[in-house]
Formats: sequence, C-alpha cells, structure tokens
Amino acid sequence: MSQPRVRAEMAVLIDVGSAWAKAGVIGQVGGRWRLVAHATQPTAWGSAALRAALVDQLASAVDARLTGQVDQLLADARRIECHTAIPPRLAIVAVSRELSGSAARRAAEAAGWHVVEFMTLDDGRDLADRLATLQAAEVSAWLIAGGFDGARSPRALEAAALVAAARRQGGGPVVWAGSADLGPDVVELFEPGVVATVANPRPDARRDEPGPLRDHLVALLRDEVAVTEETHLASSTFGRAVGALATLSGLRILGVDLGARSAVRVLAEPDGSVASRVRARGGLAGTVLVSGAAARVARLAGDAGDESAVADVLQTLRARPTTLPQTVEELSATQTAARVQLAAMFDEGTDGSVDLVIGAGRTLAAAPYPGQAARMLLDGVRPLGVTQLAVDAGAVLGPLGSLPDDQVREGVSLLGEDLLVPLGTAIVCRGGDPGRTAMRVTLHRAGWPAVGPVEMRTGQLQVLPLPRGQVAEVTIELLGSATFGATRRSPRIQAMVSGGAVGLILDARGSPIGLPRRGDDRREVLAAWRDALNRDAAAGAERFA
Amino acid sequence: MSVVHRIPLPVGATPMVEVGHVVEPSEVLATRRTPRGGQAIAVAAPLRRSAVDAAACLTVRPGTFLDAGATLADNGRGRVVRVPESCILLGYDRDDGSALIAPLSGSQPVVGHVRGEVVAMEPDAIEVRVSGALVGGVGGTGNAVHGELRVAVHDPAAELRASAIDVGATGRILVGGSRASAETLTRARAMGVAGIVLGGVLDKELRDFEATQVRRRELGVVRGDFAVILLEGYGKVGFDPGLFAWFQRHDGRLASLFGADARLYVYDAEPAPARRMLARSGERVIAHRRPHAGLAGELIRVLDRPHAFGSGVVGRAAVVRFDDGRTAIVPLANLEATEAFPVG
Repeated sequence: MSQPRVRAEMAVLIDVGSAWAKAGVIGQVGGRWRLVAHATQPTAWGSAALRAALVDQLASAVDARLTGQVDQLLADARRIECHTAIPPRLAIVAVSRELSGSAARRAAEAAGWHVVEFMTLDDGRDLADRLATLQAAEVSAWLIAGGFDGARSPRALEAAALVAAARRQGGGPVVWAGSADLGPDVVELFEPGVVATVANPRPDARRDEPGPLRDHLVALLRDEVAVTEETHLASSTFGRAVGALATLSGLRILGVDLGARSAVRVLAEPDGSVASRVRARGGLAGTVLVSGAAARVARLAGDAGDESAVADVLQTLRARPTTLPQTVEELSATQTAARVQLAAMFDEGTDGSVDLVIGAGRTLAAAPYPGQAARMLLDGVRPLGVTQLAVDAGAVLGPLGSLPDDQVREGVSLLGEDLLVPLGTAIVCRGGDPGRTAMRVTLHRAGWPAVGPVEMRTGQLQVLPLPRGQVAEVTIELLGSATFGATRRSPRIQAMVSGGAVGLILDARGSPIGLPRRGDDRREVLAAWRDALNRDAAAGAERFA
Repeated sequence: MSVVHRIPLPVGATPMVEVGHVVEPSEVLATRRTPRGGQAIAVAAPLRRSAVDAAACLTVRPGTFLDAGATLADNGRGRVVRVPESCILLGYDRDDGSALIAPLSGSQPVVGHVRGEVVAMEPDAIEVRVSGALVGGVGGTGNAVHGELRVAVHDPAAELRASAIDVGATGRILVGGSRASAETLTRARAMGVAGIVLGGVLDKELRDFEATQVRRRELGVVRGDFAVILLEGYGKVGFDPGLFAWFQRHDGRLASLFGADARLYVYDAEPAPARRMLARSGERVIAHRRPHAGLAGELIRVLDRPHAFGSGVVGRAAVVRFDDGRTAIVPLANLEATEAFPVG
C-alpha cells in the first residue's frame, strides 16, 4: 500500500536589503496562514545560507512526514521578493543655501535621490573651484534652483550657466526648479529636450512648496532605476503593503522603514491613498553625514560613551553596516542614531495625528527589547495624541507589497496576527507647564478595577501594563498648556487603546523632547526613561520616570 | 593579477594617451584648462545698443567654451564683440549690458597616479589595467598619491608614533599600525610623507586633522598631496597579522594610494590575503567592532542556536580563540575569514 502524499502549502517572503537580507516562511497551520520561520543575515552571505537557516528552523517544527523534504519544499515554494536599489546620484546647484538650496535639497532627498554635490552661489567658493567641482561630478541628473517667481534673477541664470558649462553633452537630464520667468532662458542653455521645468519650490521668500518638485524627482528616479523593477523595489512595496493595511483596518497609518543606507516614510489613509518619501541617506549609515551627529548622539544617548567613541560607532555603521553591536554602549549609540535619523525624516511633522505607527528595518524591528523599539519610534516620530505602535518583526510588509495589486490586500489580511508585533499604545502630549501636571489619564478595562487617574507631570514618561490582545478605554484630561497638537475642544478625551509587548505608554516629555542642560541631570533623566520602557511589562507594576 | 583602474576625465580634458600605452604613476594622461575667476566684458556699449537689446545679439549661449578672438556678440551691422582669451561664457547681465566670462588657465596636467596599460578611452574616463594587488579599505581621506611602501611599525597592533617619522619617510607611503594621532598625521604631512596605511584611526582625530589641513590650505601653507587609508575600522584597530606580514614582504614596492576612494594598489605584488564573509570552523578570522575589533584568531565552532550577546542583540554566533589567548563568543556577522599567510 503506497504512503499518502503529504503536501505543504507555503511561500517564502524575501526582503533583500542593501546590508541585510530577511526571509520568512508562511505556511498553513491548522487551516490558517502563519509565519512559521524567519531568518535575517547579511545580504553578502548569499541565498544558500539564508535557505539553510530557514531549513534548520523548519526541520524541527514540521510534520514528521515532511522531515527530510523541507529543503525541496522551500525550493518549490512561491517566492515573494522585494529588494533595495542603489539610489541614483544628483547634483544640485542653487542660488542660496538657506532658501532655494535647502528647498531643492529637501525635495531631492525626500524623493530618494543621493545628493552627491550641493553647490550654492553663496558658499564662499570661487568660480574656478565651482566649475572644477561640477566638471568632476559623476551624476545621473542635475537640479538647478534659484530666484523668486516674477523676477529675473541674474544669479539664478548664472547657476544654470554653471551647470551648462560643467555638464557634458548627454550628461543626464536637467531639472529647472527656479524662477518661472527664467524657464525659457534656462531651456535654451542646453541641448533640446534635456531640461524639464518644474514649479519653483520657493516661489517667494515666505512660501515653501516642494510638492511638485518632489513628485517630478520621484518620477525621474523611477525612470533611472528601470520601470520594470519598480514593482519589486522595497521603497515602493513597503508603501503598497501599508496602504493595503490602512484600507483593511480603516486606520490612518504611518510606516517607517529604517534601513542600513536609506529610509522610507509612508503615510497611508483609510481610503487607500498613500504618500511615501524616500531618504537616500536617511538610513543608519547616513547618520555620520549629519553635521554634529556624534555630539548629538552622545548627548541624546547618555550611555553610549563620549563623543569620540560615538563618532567611531557612527563611522562603523557606514563602513560595516552588516555587523552587530555587541556591547551595550554600541547598541545605545546605534539606537540613538536611529532616533536621530527618524527625527530628521519628521522634521516637518507627521502631517497630523495617526492611528498606528509601524516600524520596519532591522534596527527597529529586531531591537532586543520591545521598549527599545518603542522608544526609537516615540522619540524619532513624536506621534502626538493616541497612537498604536507596532513593528514589522517578520519583515513581511515589503515582500507582500510586491504582489500584484489584487493580491496585496489578500496577503496582508491572510497573515492576521503574525503580520505585526504590537508594542502597545502611546499617549503623547506636548506643551505643559514645567513641574506641573500635563495630563491625567484613567484606564478602564472590563472586569478590572480602573487604574488612575494617573497624573503625568511635564517631562514624565510612564508605562501602564496592558498586554497584547487586551483593549481598554482611557479618559485623558489635558491640563495647563498641554495639547495633542491641535486646539483643545473638550477638557476630557475618551479613546480606545490596545495593548502590546510594552503596554500603555504615557508620554508627557513634549515635542521636541526637552532635556536638562547639566550632563549628570541629563544622563539621569535619560536612564530613567530608558528603564521605564524596558522593564518587563508582565510584571504588572506601573513604571515611572 | 591585474585590476582595471578608472581615471575620470573632467569636461574639456584632452587625452594624451591611447589604448595600449603603458603609463607610469607620474605620467600626464590628459590635459585640461581650468576656469579662473570671473571677468566682465562690455557688450552693450560696443554694439551701441541698450543693455536689454544687446542680449539678442549674443551669438553663443552661456556655458559655451570660446577660443581667444571668438565672436561673443554681433549686432548685424558690423559691430562685433570678441573674447580676448579662451573662456567659458557664464551669463549676461541685462542691467549693465556686460557678459560674465570665466577665462581658462593654461594647460594643466591630469595625472593618473597608477602604473599600467591603457585599455580603454572613454569621453569621461581613461581605464588603465594595473598589474599588482588591490587592497580595499573602509575609509580614508586625501588625494591620489604614489610612492614606495615602507612599514613603519614592528607590530600590527602598534600605534604609529610621530617620532617614527623621519626624513627617510619623505615621498613614501608608510604602513602604520592600529592608530595614528592627529599630531602624527600632521607631522607626516609636514615631513613630505605621501600617504599612510592604517588598521584604524579615531574618527575624531582624522576629522581634526582634515580640519587643520583645510584651514592651512586656505592660508596657502599646505602644498603637495597626502592621503590616508584605513583598512580595518574606526577606533584603535590593529591589522590582521596576515595582511601585516604581506605588507612586510612588499616593503619597498611602488604603490598608489587613493585616500578618498579607500583603494591601495601595490605593484608587482602577489595578491593580498583574501577576505570572505560567513567564516567556517577552523578558519582564520578577523573580528570587527568592539570589544574585539581588529583581533585575529581561529574560529573554533559556529553555535547551533542564535546567541544573545551582552547588548541583548540576538544573532548567529561563533566561538573564536584569539591570538592573544582569549576565547570569546562573537557575532558571526562581525567576523571575516582571512586567508592564512606566512607570518615573519
């Protein structure tokens, strides 16, 4: 009698990053699709090692009848894959660093370009140096900006002429994002069809309108990285998956994917619309390029060592992005660098309150303790109001977003509880009077006595136990000048909150977070916040800092 | 062994070599005329036109290269404005009727700093096949330089001291050890050292050194080129002993160092000890990141299960017996397998 054939339905989700490759296996367990194995390793180790790691995990867990067949099953399984592309290089020439230059640079970096040359006519260089530098630039495209609309700035035309003199024929597209009146003049400086004229991101001294330029640069970047690849580019697929989740859940979701080299920020609305931005140097490796980063990280970490030691860690993150922090100090420096990079992504705010913040990328999603992931998201994003926090621990969102349009939503819904690891809910206010109560929170759970009211003084951080799977109602009273970012309409706010690996986080530290000037005081406060978030949520005790 | 090195050509450069030429590090591969400071030329007045109307008389557009005596503007009635010397037209001022030009300097050499055979000529680059070994680094600073290698420390973990740099180091590329202070780098540059190869350096000291050099260059005090390359990491990080032994064997060989690109070519050299990620049991390894940065040893075994390190990070791990006698569990991702190389 022949043995019945045993079948296993599974798929392999693979996210090949610039430094780390993540793979997850989803399979049918008891009639439900579950994430049954997950492995992360340096991309350079290769696909064979990644598969071997998955086989090792599955071998001890699969049905006994499948033992010995796991490797073949994985080989036959459907592969759902996304990958990170190397961003193309851009040179920016603008009239002023503070106005046209900064607007152009922000738009370019938000669109995902790697800005390798940033020159402004007020940077103190002489003409010869400027031309020599631009002539030596190896870039895929040029961006020129300057002059207000309604004026014919000769300096703006000079910026364009500099590029015309330095760029070789056929040396990539040119984007003119300066004075609208000068557009025809700039077009004439280059061979036909090279210049694209885009709306001025600084039409006058008071207005900043980077949207059209950013959108144009996003489209240009897509052309550069080959259209056929786009459906598998992690920068696109992450947004598609977050968008699908927003539609399914009816939540306004903010997703941040902090990679080794670049970072992606996605804001998805319940109606399915998605706005995403990529920062080419927004990943951990880019921290070292931020002016004064070592001093800032040392100051914000408190326990990462002095500025010199932190500077070495930041350089290591750039030079060897696939290595792991083995000491507490190096981990602290790495996670603080993540907070700094996230904060840079959100220097213009979060476009209103959101219902859920999702963190992705190895540093966020694979933080040793959930409280560390929560702290990076809280400190980096500063989501005002009542916000759920979660991490994409299985690194499944990117690959799922690479599915065909009609399957993305299905893939997101199939994974259910395995899709994200909830950290809990954060209630974050800003403002408040120093030393006084900023908010008063009472927690109500069915069948449990009410907790509180808990009084949160300005500058305090506190965690209330609320395990994963539990929901509760909170009553929040904002006092003094404390707000959730918008004008207060009612003295009391009622909201539903859900639990997670950390719990319910009450955060009255303000936005931006204020820190004591004295070093000892600052370190003490930072350590207290760290400890409040990292203590075991299951202990049941309230944690104050 | 050979590698192809690409030398970018600036816009307007004129190549001086052809495919098949054998070139030396000091050889001029191309010439270029760099623009000098801006200069205004009256256009409207000689043409007897208003400043606004004269704009229509320009015969070339900004960004154009012009030879000496070339026509810049023509009113169509016999009045012509010519440029006095070779230049680039940068713009026209409609307020005062003058054109801004950037006169071009005399011919300046483009030096490749590598020895080898020209294998390709492209509009924007020359490719040279270099016979020798390429050693890549994790960081560096400075221009392209070349010179003889000279090992300046006795131990791969030793620090390169300022006192070790004497007149005998002038024009050479020194192979230091685990660190060099900003003071040492400054002295090396002052003594005419071409470049320094290090296992590691404190990022802060490297930045301090760069900052002083930028300031001195602005003051016109610093001349000549100087480069630094880091092979292992940032901080006090020793060399892999095998790689150090390889440098010792090639002491006196000609080398080219590209600091900013973190590349070092050593001519007529056997391949440098190879590195590979995902080390296996029994292999020689070098560790990166604290607390074992720069330490070499033998990988005893890879742990079957993921390991939680002191930081709390969980990952694949290996037991390593370091050459200093210590044994430690290290993240596998922090190890590179190194090719064994006879030491001494």
